[in-house]
Amino acid sequence: MADLQYLSALAERAVSIATRAGADKCDVVAADTNTISVDLEKGSVKQANIFSDPGVGVRAFAKGASGFAVCTGFDEAAVSRAAAMAVSLARAGTPDKDFKDLPVSSQVTPLPGLYEPSVVGIGPEEVVAMVIEMSDIAGDHKKITSANSSAAVSVCHVALANSNGFSSAQRMTSVDLVVESVARDGEAMFSGYDGTSGRRLEQGAIERVSGKARDQAIKGLVQTKLETGDYAIIMDPLAAGFVLGNAIGGGLNADSVQRGRSFLAGKLGHVIGSPAVSVYDDPTIEWASGSTSFDGEGTPAAKSLLVDKGRLASYLYDSYTAGKELRGSTGNSSRGGSVWSYRHPPSISTTNLVVSPGDSSFDEMVRETKSGAYVRATFDYPNLATGEFSGLMMESYVIRNGELGPAIRQSTMGIGIVDMLSRVDMVGKDTHEYFGVHTPPFRISSARIAGSG
Amino acid sequence: MEDLASRTIDHAMKSGAEFADLRLESSQGTNIVVMDGKTKTVTAQLSSGCGVRAFIDGAWGFAVTNDISQSSLSAAAESAVKMARVAKDRAKVKFKISPVKAVRAVEKYRCGTAPSDVTMEDKVSLASSLDRSMRSTDPRISSTNARYDDFEGERIVANSFETLVRTRETWVLAACSAWAKSDGVIQRGHDAVGMVGGYELMRTEDTLSLGTNAAAQALRLLDSKPAPAGKFVCVLDNKMTGLLAHEAFGHACEADAVLAGASVLEGRVGQKVACDEVTLADDPSIEASFGFFSHDWEGVKADKHVLIEDGILKGYLHNLESSSRMGTQPSGSSRAQTYGSPPIIRMSNTFIAPGDWKKDELLEDTKEGLLIQGSQYGYVEPSKGQFMFKCDEAYVIRHGEIGERYRDASLSGVILEVLNNVTGVADDFMVGDPGYCGKGGQSARTSDGGPHLRVADVVVGGLV
Repeated sequence: MADLQYLSALAERAVSIATRAGADKCDVVAADTNTISVDLEKGSVKQANIFSDPGVGVRAFAKGASGFAVCTGFDEAAVSRAAAMAVSLARAGTPDKDFKDLPVSSQVTPLPGLYEPSVVGIGPEEVVAMVIEMSDIAGDHKKITSANSSAAVSVCHVALANSNGFSSAQRMTSVDLVVESVARDGEAMFSGYDGTSGRRLEQGAIERVSGKARDQAIKGLVQTKLETGDYAIIMDPLAAGFVLGNAIGGGLNADSVQRGRSFLAGKLGHVIGSPAVSVYDDPTIEWASGSTSFDGEGTPAAKSLLVDKGRLASYLYDSYTAGKELRGSTGNSSRGGSVWSYRHPPSISTTNLVVSPGDSSFDEMVRETKSGAYVRATFDYPNLATGEFSGLMMESYVIRNGELGPAIRQSTMGIGIVDMLSRVDMVGKDTHEYFGVHTPPFRISSARIAGSG
Repeated sequence: MEDLASRTIDHAMKSGAEFADLRLESSQGTNIVVMDGKTKTVTAQLSSGCGVRAFIDGAWGFAVTNDISQSSLSAAAESAVKMARVAKDRAKVKFKISPVKAVRAVEKYRCGTAPSDVTMEDKVSLASSLDRSMRSTDPRISSTNARYDDFEGERIVANSFETLVRTRETWVLAACSAWAKSDGVIQRGHDAVGMVGGYELMRTEDTLSLGTNAAAQALRLLDSKPAPAGKFVCVLDNKMTGLLAHEAFGHACEADAVLAGASVLEGRVGQKVACDEVTLADDPSIEASFGFFSHDWEGVKADKHVLIEDGILKGYLHNLESSSRMGTQPSGSSRAQTYGSPPIIRMSNTFIAPGDWKKDELLEDTKEGLLIQGSQYGYVEPSKGQFMFKCDEAYVIRHGEIGERYRDASLSGVILEVLNNVTGVADDFMVGDPGYCGKGGQSARTSDGGPHLRVADVVVGGLV
């Protein structure tokens, strides 16, 4: 792999070329990522992949308009062409006085927990061993008819430089595990899913995700229907992570807010959730998949409080949206998640979104729910203009008189996101990470469920 | 390029592969986004590289390089073989890839005006005019987004069965989103066109009306109410019928899901899975559609596949592997997002065939229900047998009359039940709603469609 010094020199040279070609401002990312991944299907190793993806992305500004060009590989001539093309593309754009500047050169403090040397040494044989272990655990029940697993291990070297003199580089590692168990019992069929991602392989992660997938597949075989009505809902971190990642990550995007497209526009300082709800963005968490020393434009990593005991405290900014409000960026310009990509221009995103834990155990939340549902998985997006959420309860379980019951067949839930956050009346104490969101389970006192009963 | 491909396949075979294939690509693309009267990004992609796949005794190895020199391609071939060896040592399911007749073809998909022959300034001007057309519609349009994408690429697919298919592919897409604001209410409308073809699509009335369509939808929704929650008789419009076909059945018919033991349609070929009026197909051969291709990414000729005929499940979508393992012919359904991804089974243009009902008669015949319009997205877990699809808007139907308007809502169904609940198939067939389908971390251009369709017992995820 290209070393950081080489990548930094390449990025700085591309900055010089773009500047000489007429860019008012520019930034360049040079990335080299190696990934080994293995897929296992129905207990049998199916495919082993090795990817190498070196390349350069150049963003140039001319009168505030931005152009972005990429080239695959590190060929000097191709990088020069990409730099010149980015300038030409910027000139084809419309002038934009709202663009103020890119981040100025600043000292970046390298964060611990981005790079695990032992991950670099993982070869395909070790990744194969991981998926086999996952499959063995996920398939360890007589009702499990299929266990499918995959693992990906990546090493990413990346350098970022801009025309304000910023130049920094970092190494990142990433380990992703996904497992699915399929259970059958007569005509009944159900699947359980789990996964994890981080910058290293955490102790016990394989056993935890594989066991979870297996247990959920078995639990879902017994099914019931629910009548349409209002119910209390306990959101699992898997469901909450997907919904909040999109609702808060998308709703707080300063670009959407400034354009009046977000349901959270104009709500800064307003109460949008119950006092039990505090949310922040934190790129500094050791070994978390979204952690980074600097963001996709070079703003040093810093924690941002977004929702403070129910009150909206901040939006998510990059340099463009921050410049529009003559304030500083929150460091939420993203070039990708656990590994960076040179292929797309940066965009606003959360790093690690964190929901503060409460003091309830999951069992307490269930025990104190007379009539409700435990929603483990939904993969629906809220409408960011209206803030309304209408989604399939892909995996959910009925709660009656404080006891968890069978899986609910074919139901959907509907609620406004502000109502959802405002009706949070219990927050769990155990946090899990899914989709870059670190959240405990929490209970919503009431939401509309459309059932098939 | 062909020689390079052939030598690389030979090298993979000499290195120990039982079967080998590759996708060698060189492409360029444009993406322009205009927001609120100003360009947000003008992006150009120049990309080239090769993905080599090697098969040994029930397992695959896959390796990628961005450098298309012979030495790099040979190294990628060796890596693919090495990875296949690592995998096959732990592969419990052993099988062979059944030989298929070699395909030698040079294809150039129909393209009137190559996007590369259009200046960047003209493309920016087009996106800007689409953006302007939204904002000039009504003062309540508060924010706008216009997008233009194009792609021109040359792809060589080669394999050790001596297949060598060279394809020149061009596609274009334009999309508009408008936000309307009134009395503190914000609503969004959108519309899109796309096809495999050239810039000529950008000069059609369909493209030029995108902005006004998106703006009109956003304005319409301003006085809409949240949808009711519950179980309803739903009349789906052409777009939602297409999304239903794609999500409810298309994915569950992908043979890789079946082989993984993760589809509720496993073992059901020849069985009744829908009412007699339902015929459902996937057809990549529809020219000028967004899901068109003539040979798949394994070099297999692509043809129409009828998945359900008169309510009976006829078969699955196959690639070389699944057809080998299930003793049938490959159906040309293997696709890779780019050279950097291994090919997997994908849909193309998926639809339900037209029936006998007139659309108006279908609505008049509906005593109570919802008319569901415009598709946003959907997803399915074939192993749970459940799917959802989200509409843009809905209308009450009472005694055949269209009533009040509701906004977007999720609709859910059960794969093995939903098409048995069809109570009317109209004759107003239409295919062409373009979109990108995600699977296994890869994106594929697809479209879908069908006629208006009446379905009983659809669960609507309303808020009230």
